[in-house]
Amino acid sequence: MAAPRSCALWGYYGRGWSRVMRGCRLPGLRSSWPGSPLGARLLSQEKRATETHFGFETVSEEEKGGKVYQVFESVAKKYDVMNDMMSLGIHRVWKDLLLWRMHPFPGTQLLDVAGGTGDIAFRFLNYIQAQHRRKQKRQLRTQQNLSWEEIAQKYQNEEDSLNGSHVVVCDINKEMLKIGRKKACAQGYKTGLAWVLGDAEELPFDDDKFDVYTIAFGIRNVTHIDRALQEAHRVLKPGGRFLCLEFSQVTNPLVSRLYDLYSFQVIPVMGEVIAKDWKSYQYLVESIRQFPAQEEFKEMIEDAGFQKVTYESLTSGIVAIHSGFKL
Amino acid sequence: MLSAGRLGAVLRGTRAPSSSTVARRCLRVSASRPAADESERPAEPPHAFDRALLEFLVCPLSKKPLRYEASTNELINDELGIAYPVIDGIPNMIPQAARMMAHQNKKQEDTEQH
Repeated sequence: MAAPRSCALWGYYGRGWSRVMRGCRLPGLRSSWPGSPLGARLLSQEKRATETHFGFETVSEEEKGGKVYQVFESVAKKYDVMNDMMSLGIHRVWKDLLLWRMHPFPGTQLLDVAGGTGDIAFRFLNYIQAQHRRKQKRQLRTQQNLSWEEIAQKYQNEEDSLNGSHVVVCDINKEMLKIGRKKACAQGYKTGLAWVLGDAEELPFDDDKFDVYTIAFGIRNVTHIDRALQEAHRVLKPGGRFLCLEFSQVTNPLVSRLYDLYSFQVIPVMGEVIAKDWKSYQYLVESIRQFPAQEEFKEMIEDAGFQKVTYESLTSGIVAIHSGFKL
Repeated sequence: MLSAGRLGAVLRGTRAPSSSTVARRCLRVSASRPAADESERPAEPPHAFDRALLEFLVCPLSKKPLRYEASTNELINDELGIAYPVIDGIPNMIPQAARMMAHQNKKQEDTEQH
């Protein structure tokens, strides 16, 4: 598995993959089915009988979901440790940056898809609380003749500090959700947080419900990215924002060479040593290479109906934050 | 997410730390779970379904609102006759995991082999 070979594969599969994706658009499927959910599933499965990629492997589209599920089921327990090891902790900075770009206001309703371990959700709650505390401090400083009681009261009311902000974490993987909720209990997050087992391609949420939709390191693993994007558009309120943090394409050739070497030579070994799971981490690096580059993904987001789509490459393009609005 | 009772107890505990409520709480805990000691965080706290979620949740297939049935701990789409289980407080909204209420479940299981 040498680096140059991987580059060649990237070029080839990158193009092939996008053709597959474009070919399987199914507008109106959801509204046209006759009433039985079973009928709909059969129909959609028949139409879905195209091929897609699982890493560099070619698999049928029905197979991909199950395989991805197995990967994340297997890595769930070591997910956080492995993320820190593989990215040398940088994934935390990327996620923080996503929150800064979001800059949620008190009262923001967030849907975090594929966020089972709660990384984005906890950051969101922290962000809102920190913002509220800063504001409160400023207010208290400007007010005069406050009694100690009044001050203490302001500090004690934890629920108020969210101002109605709420985050719903939706993940297709039970194991990842379990880890996330355990973390939430351990870290004392009680309010403003809910967990739902759901599919990004068939979100169990009503139209026009959320101010922000985030998906961090998740959309790469979805079988039909176009469908996930359409669902994101549906559940967002008009004026709502789509934010995606995902691995992207490195442009600098030197960085690219090093990155390939690291990805293909080091990460699977790390996976084997730490998580005793070579295959899952092999999939991880391969799936990163399959994912469309910044511009192409931007077009896909626009195709789903989003406006003012922009992106920002971070760390030489190893990851990118894409943003779009439902207007 | 904590159950309503537990949440109430916690809130009461932080807002008005009167000794009588604390004592009562300890009593209740020790009565219901004799093995558990006084440590606040048991390994697996019980999770109840958060009804506030009903404001957002719909059936992923029909996108219609759902009804929470406490007795079976399911979210029900009456129109289509399907029930989504709530497992450990987390609603499972994957259509393949849903239960067909009126008809037999067999057909559905056939479709979900993957």
